[in-house]
Amino acid sequence: MTPVYLDYAATTPVRDEVLEAMEPFANQRFGNPSSMHRWGRAARAALDEARATVADAIGARPSEIVFVRGGTESDNLAVVGGFDALAEKGPATVAVSAIEHSAVLEPALRIEGTGRGRTTVLGVTPDGVLDLDRLHTSAATAPTLASVMWANNETGIMLPVAEAASIVHEHGGLLHSDACQALGKVPVDVREVPVDLLSVTGHKIHGPKGAGFLFIRAGRSVRPHLFGGSQELSIRPGTEDVAGAVGLATAVKLAVDEVATHSAHLSELHDRLEAQLLDRVPGVRVNGAEARRAPHVSSIGVPEIDDGSALLMALDLEGVAVSGGSACHSGSGKASHVISALFGAEDRFATIRFSFGRGTTVQEIDHAVDVTSTVLNRVRGATAGVAR
Amino acid sequence: MSRVLVAMSGGVDSSLAAALLVEEGHDVVGVTMKTFCYSDTPAHGKTCCGLDGIMDARRVADTLGIPHFVFDVEEDFTRDVIDDFVAEYARGRTPNPCVRCNSNTKFRDLLERGRALDCDRIATGHYVRIAHEPDGSHLLRGHDANKDQSYFLWGLPREMLGTLLFPLGELTKDQVRERARALTLATADKPESQEICFVPTGDYRDLLVKRLGTVHPALEAGPLVRLDGTVVGEHGGYAGFTVGQRKGLGGGFPEPMFVIEIRPERREVVIGTHDELFADRVHIGELNWHTDEPTVGSPVSVQLRYRAPIVAARVADRGGELVLDLVEPRAAITPGQSAVVFDGDRVLGGGRIVRAESGATV
Repeated sequence: MTPVYLDYAATTPVRDEVLEAMEPFANQRFGNPSSMHRWGRAARAALDEARATVADAIGARPSEIVFVRGGTESDNLAVVGGFDALAEKGPATVAVSAIEHSAVLEPALRIEGTGRGRTTVLGVTPDGVLDLDRLHTSAATAPTLASVMWANNETGIMLPVAEAASIVHEHGGLLHSDACQALGKVPVDVREVPVDLLSVTGHKIHGPKGAGFLFIRAGRSVRPHLFGGSQELSIRPGTEDVAGAVGLATAVKLAVDEVATHSAHLSELHDRLEAQLLDRVPGVRVNGAEARRAPHVSSIGVPEIDDGSALLMALDLEGVAVSGGSACHSGSGKASHVISALFGAEDRFATIRFSFGRGTTVQEIDHAVDVTSTVLNRVRGATAGVAR
Repeated sequence: MSRVLVAMSGGVDSSLAAALLVEEGHDVVGVTMKTFCYSDTPAHGKTCCGLDGIMDARRVADTLGIPHFVFDVEEDFTRDVIDDFVAEYARGRTPNPCVRCNSNTKFRDLLERGRALDCDRIATGHYVRIAHEPDGSHLLRGHDANKDQSYFLWGLPREMLGTLLFPLGELTKDQVRERARALTLATADKPESQEICFVPTGDYRDLLVKRLGTVHPALEAGPLVRLDGTVVGEHGGYAGFTVGQRKGLGGGFPEPMFVIEIRPERREVVIGTHDELFADRVHIGELNWHTDEPTVGSPVSVQLRYRAPIVAARVADRGGELVLDLVEPRAAITPGQSAVVFDGDRVLGGGRIVRAESGATV
């Protein structure tokens, strides 16, 4: 069988429709959107259109969308820029869930590390219960910039974003949600959920890499951390990546339009994989089985493995492309911060993240299960003793 | 054909080793071992397994069309190699971390992880040969006498020898470069690495200070003495010295002086004349054998330092330590370095030098 890609949570191929939409902006409509002449206007028109498309897809207004260069930049801007805006008015704090992406955790910890404000890390149980009491405590001390992700990238676990928002709002804080893994898999609408800031990146939804946006609700402030021209409301200066924005907008629109059928497809794959693995491999666990989860990820806990990275390499050599915690951390063989936060320190427990996408078939799932059970038995025997 | 795991440091040798295995039709998987945290080291790139090493290895693997992985062995490496390196200097000895790494870390990890990847053979770019015979596998000196690296491999567990491949064993360094160029490998003209991989500054004392602090006895001033105990000067910390060293001893002596012994318990660095540097009896510990051990009285050959000539010897005693009497005295036999026992070209085993003495003193 040809190699099977089951790592769609890491990244996805660009859809044909997206590529087509982007192409003219590489050459014919190459103008700088800030230029007042016709070349500039042609580019500006496309950028405006892209902004309106994105806004429409998530229930926002165009003026609430800032294009940035991907998910990490969007998360960083939200956390640091949102905190900066709060801190201008007086003492402020930060609160983040323990399973946030490192693009949220790291800037949050840096705010505390540089002595600018306390950062509270909120526990999450394997059932997806967020420690809202601690959030309440943090929010009551001083206005809080809180970041609570919509769906977790390693497990698919969905957090109670709306509840968190109402707690934060009681005390004049801001709620950010990283929806990079949620959009296109579950409904994401800022009219339904009162987030102040929301991050999305293109490449998880068959859009281009390096293109993302930050939703900033009207009336909320975010301070920039790049300085230069007045592009993107001066919040994100630098000549706009028009092709990227157009590609992102096309991908966002398609993802949102297709969310119902796509998530049904994903759920089928995800149920099938989990049922088969639980049935065929003794001792495995579905991480977050009881939690509300986005349907494109199955995080499988595997006991009696000393070195998770060897398992991933072995799966790769047998033609099954998956990751451990998240692709950003693969290779260390250690439990990711997400798995550790959910389950505590566990010896000899590895994690395999299978994630599914538009192209994934039932046959691929069945094949992946076969390969996984074979490889698991081999790796268990071989690496006993690696972690001496 | 079987699947082979090849350790690629990012140098030309292991690059060509991988290429030769691919040419032979093996299913080859390349790996680079990440041995320490690069963000802590300001000057990477000078040594084989640094960050540039990983990138170079990956580029070569891509050229060859083979998968490449990074094995994170930082924890094991720190414990088994770096900690030992520091402890040995603190004990007044001169460690050989490459031997330690090969014996304790690199090959064991390769074998264990290799098994997980269904690789039944392990290969490296060492200049040694291995003969897989019905009576067992024999590690042999490399064909290129200038490059022979058998000195570093005596510590390989005997039971592992059967799984090893050394594709460069019959080649000279020049031939390796030539073939690497012919294959347009990115590393074909990469300079030789000389430094210890985890000492990128080139001065191991920086690492000792970082690990031990400046107030450690090994790094504090102590007396320079002659063999008879006469104090003739002061040194800045015995960890900065190795047996046979001439530099850093100050002047004013009628003839050239050398470090002949380090006595850590008294912080003494003993210096003496060239004649006093010689010894003909060697005590060797932490032994490992690739064959049955040579018995007391049997003649052997021994190499006491990398690139040093092989010396004829006789097994004088085998208690807790192996004691060898050298047929002729050798200079600067250094505690902490390896003593590798040969039968002709074949490595029988070896150990770490504990001390050397002159037979006359026995």
